[in-house]
Amino acid sequence: MKNVIERILNLLAFLLTVERPVSAEEIRETVAGYDRDSDEAFHRMFERDKDLLRSLGIPLELTFTDAWQIDQAYVIVKGDYELPDPGLTDEERAALWLASQVVRVGGQPAGPEAILKLGGASMVGAGEPLAANLGLAADTLGVVFVAIAERRLLSFSYRDVTRTIQPFGMRHQRGHWYVVGPASRAAEIRVYRIDRASEFTTEGKTEAFERPAEFSVRDALPNAPWEAGEEDAEVTIVFDPEVAWWVQRQISTSAAVEELDSGGLKIKLAVANTDALIGWVLGFEDKAEILEPLDVRQALIDRVMER
Amino acid sequence: MRSKTERRLTQILSMIPWVIANPGARVEEVCDRFGYDRRDLVADLNLVFVCGLPGYGPGDLMDAYIDEDEVVIDMADYFSRQLRLNPAEALGLLASGMALTSTGQAPPALESAVSKLRDALLPDAEAVLSVDLSEEPEVLDILRRGATDARVIDMVYTSLGRGETKERSIEPWSVFSAMGNWYVSAHCRTAGGERVFRVDRIRTAAVTNEQFEPPAEIPPPEVRYTPSEDDVRATIRLGPNARWVAEYYPVEELDQDGLVRFSASDAAVPARLLLRLGSDAELVDGDETNLRVSEIREAILRRYL
Repeated sequence: MKNVIERILNLLAFLLTVERPVSAEEIRETVAGYDRDSDEAFHRMFERDKDLLRSLGIPLELTFTDAWQIDQAYVIVKGDYELPDPGLTDEERAALWLASQVVRVGGQPAGPEAILKLGGASMVGAGEPLAANLGLAADTLGVVFVAIAERRLLSFSYRDVTRTIQPFGMRHQRGHWYVVGPASRAAEIRVYRIDRASEFTTEGKTEAFERPAEFSVRDALPNAPWEAGEEDAEVTIVFDPEVAWWVQRQISTSAAVEELDSGGLKIKLAVANTDALIGWVLGFEDKAEILEPLDVRQALIDRVMER
Repeated sequence: MRSKTERRLTQILSMIPWVIANPGARVEEVCDRFGYDRRDLVADLNLVFVCGLPGYGPGDLMDAYIDEDEVVIDMADYFSRQLRLNPAEALGLLASGMALTSTGQAPPALESAVSKLRDALLPDAEAVLSVDLSEEPEVLDILRRGATDARVIDMVYTSLGRGETKERSIEPWSVFSAMGNWYVSAHCRTAGGERVFRVDRIRTAAVTNEQFEPPAEIPPPEVRYTPSEDDVRATIRLGPNARWVAEYYPVEELDQDGLVRFSASDAAVPARLLLRLGSDAELVDGDETNLRVSEIREAILRRYL
């Protein structure tokens, strides 16, 4: 490990000082630690080191040094290496460290790397009896995050279809991560649950699209699963008294709720995804009943018959 | 998972700019801030000491040593800037900070840290990145107080499976949010064992004056797959559109193809799930669950037809 670290420090010192593209051959001849006898040994070592730099967040870029695009060379763009200084105080760094331990992304508490890069903090354990798990690995979310930050097109597989969108934003809500954006400039903005998609890739150039100035990811997402979709139905449901408290806790205050003499509830909901609504209503077993419209009522019956 | 080499390089490349920016830094502070003990710090400084620019003579190498308890690094101007965060680190830090501020429980230092970080990493972050934990139910404060002060809580709880409402006495260990729900993990005096309760199923709760002795080591706050003797088991094949279930219920994955073992305190839980999923899932094994599915189906159809 010591050798690798020395080699990397020498390589970084060199690239950050020369500030010009440098060929692999020049690195091999100039930088201490790369003087291997065989071409193969050198290339294997250099490839490994490039991967290491990449995962550290250090952008080693490949460019061409001649007009015919034959000679390749490596360069570190200084602005890409450096962190724009957010100007955090010690207290703020310590608060961020605690937050990263209490709220876990992907089930694992974050390592200290990010805080170290920001200038370190006294990393005492979190004794707070409160924790949260945001689900999904930070690596997957990182790809989506970069696409949004750099305004690159984002491709992924969703329900067995490959889609490419202009990612406008991402949001974590009620236990799920979502990415939001249209397929093209003129298309409608769609919402995708990130855990139901896979094979995320970003391609092409940065600043590939414009985000409307008025866009807000907070407003783009519906409050309940049945509000996300393309249907337009008003559904009336009655609930028995014994589950009324549970319903009241789950629906938004904007729904039209009528309390029945029995102690039950009659509710009218605006529904954009009847499939999701039926799933929710079935959770109440026979303590709930969709009254209208009749086609949604029938869809529930059909679903139950499927079993 | 980070390799040791990666972590150590991050440590070195983070420590150098800070020491350069803070001349006269004491060994103790550098250690505390960057997670070193003195020996490791000395080892890393010795390593830095033999690195530098081509030529690699005395004038080309970096200077790094400890002088009367002060850490000194010289001739290393090219490493004077802090390393950029990689995307996963940036997102992870922002998301954790924003999640905590969304609960309204965050200290002011976190609020300002998140806003500075947002400005530095993603100028229009307000519009494009948002993290909300599920809304905090009122009872959460009571539970948190009980956990912090190690006081017994009396509560009325309606179970998810049977829908049975019962008074319970619990020793709350931790309150946490996962998969969009708040939970409290506790020793349940009524049941005589460790339990995880969903906070939104708690009807009422009150902190009592009785103290309890918290366990030396509190189990990690998570909804685990911990089947108990009395649990109902069901083996379910999840179709492609139902794969998400494996992530949102504590299940044991039996193969790569959506076969899972489901465990619950009551057969109603897997039965309801099966009804919801319709033809997207298939019950492979589980007599009790199968029976329950029929019962619930009959009851629903009786109401509708």
